[in-house]
Amino acid sequence: MIEFRGVNKWFGALHVLKDITLSVEPREVVVVCGPSGSGKSTLIRCVNGLESTRDGVLVVDGHRVGDPTTDMTELRAEIGFVFQSFNLYPHKTALENVTLAPIHVRKIARSAAEEAGRELLARVGLADKFNAYPSELSGGQQQRVAIARCLCMRPKIMLFDEPTSALDPEMISEVLDVMVSVAEEGMTMMVVTHEMGFARRVAQRVVFMDAGAIVESGTPEEFFSNPRTDRSRAFLGKILRH
Amino acid sequence: MIWQQFQSLIGSYPLALRGLGMTVALSLISLVLGTLIGFALGILRTGGNQLISRVIGAWVDLIRGTPFLVQIFLIFFILPELGIELDAFTAGIIALSNLAACFICEIVAAGIRAVPTGQVEAALASGLSRWQRMRQVVLPQAMRMSLPPLVGQYVLLIKDSSVVSAIGLTDLTRVGWLVVQRVPNGLLVFAIVGIGYFVVCYPLILLARRLESRMGAAHGEVQL
Repeated sequence: MIEFRGVNKWFGALHVLKDITLSVEPREVVVVCGPSGSGKSTLIRCVNGLESTRDGVLVVDGHRVGDPTTDMTELRAEIGFVFQSFNLYPHKTALENVTLAPIHVRKIARSAAEEAGRELLARVGLADKFNAYPSELSGGQQQRVAIARCLCMRPKIMLFDEPTSALDPEMISEVLDVMVSVAEEGMTMMVVTHEMGFARRVAQRVVFMDAGAIVESGTPEEFFSNPRTDRSRAFLGKILRH
Repeated sequence: MIWQQFQSLIGSYPLALRGLGMTVALSLISLVLGTLIGFALGILRTGGNQLISRVIGAWVDLIRGTPFLVQIFLIFFILPELGIELDAFTAGIIALSNLAACFICEIVAAGIRAVPTGQVEAALASGLSRWQRMRQVVLPQAMRMSLPPLVGQYVLLIKDSSVVSAIGLTDLTRVGWLVVQRVPNGLLVFAIVGIGYFVVCYPLILLARRLESRMGAAHGEVQL
């Protein structure tokens, strides 16, 4: 579904992705973790072309990302992206946020899109917030709207870029619960997160990155109980201590 | 004495109305044209094309950096020498629309730049096309920020329209000049001219103030 083959990326002189080779199968949930600045956000932002790569091959859903013949707008419609800072449209209600792309990109009739949108908002526990503006919602509620906004496009892949990092602690679990239910429905997911409970529960694989490279990759059990490198041991020591 | 002057002033009210009409017509047409062109320029200015952006930027700087009177003279007196004949009204409209477009371009561009990148990324990630991103996500948010200065700019435009009297258009200011030749009381005549402009501008000033306080509202689209 997603395949990196020897992908490199530089920000000026900074080598942010080093020779990344990684493949994500359909219905697989991959958690990407690592210290800040390790390139994990950049990695998933490459998947839908929010960042460009310099060399190597990146194939998503059978299309080469960055290739001039690939219609990135079309490809992006198949990929949901959940941001750390939610990025809901502040001038639109929750329901309008959710239905915007289905109506304009998928060309679904407004009434049908609104019905699907209401259903999804109800599913993420926001049945009473259809007409609320983002500024009237808590962080956790906003992030759940953002997830519903992606789901309403019926994407083939969902990418999550630290979806709970900007949330107050008491709101993290309401967002994680939604993510777990999406994973359990068989969505192909790449999730950048430090929520190791989430990784243990639904991930098939944990990828550990440091300084732009994939250092280690394995099942959650392997990774948490028996990290193979000093760097992953040091990292786990820091995030699991409290 | 004053009373006599006042009476002869009242006698020239058809002329004053014509002048007011001319001022309003000039302002209104230029306001609409300038807004349309200004929006298009502002969107192009922030678009991806560096060359287009630079050319627009240079033109805007040139217009903002030269006196409006000089611009009108160039259009009205110099263009005919290049074979482009314009009547005074057309020349006035062109000069005013161009001036308005340049200021509005900068206002719109500033509004577009102030929309957070995350908004564009969210729109991009959901598969919206370039125009859809602009129309659905960027412009509505840019408008919220641009509207108060935009209305403020309209007030300036109406006042700037007085400069067209220099090329012989009988607008409110020129009516003042004509009347003062018959009624030798400059203070009285131009006070009335000033009131004429104020009556047109004041509602806009109030509107701008209202929009500005609306900006403080946390959400929703600006509704006129």
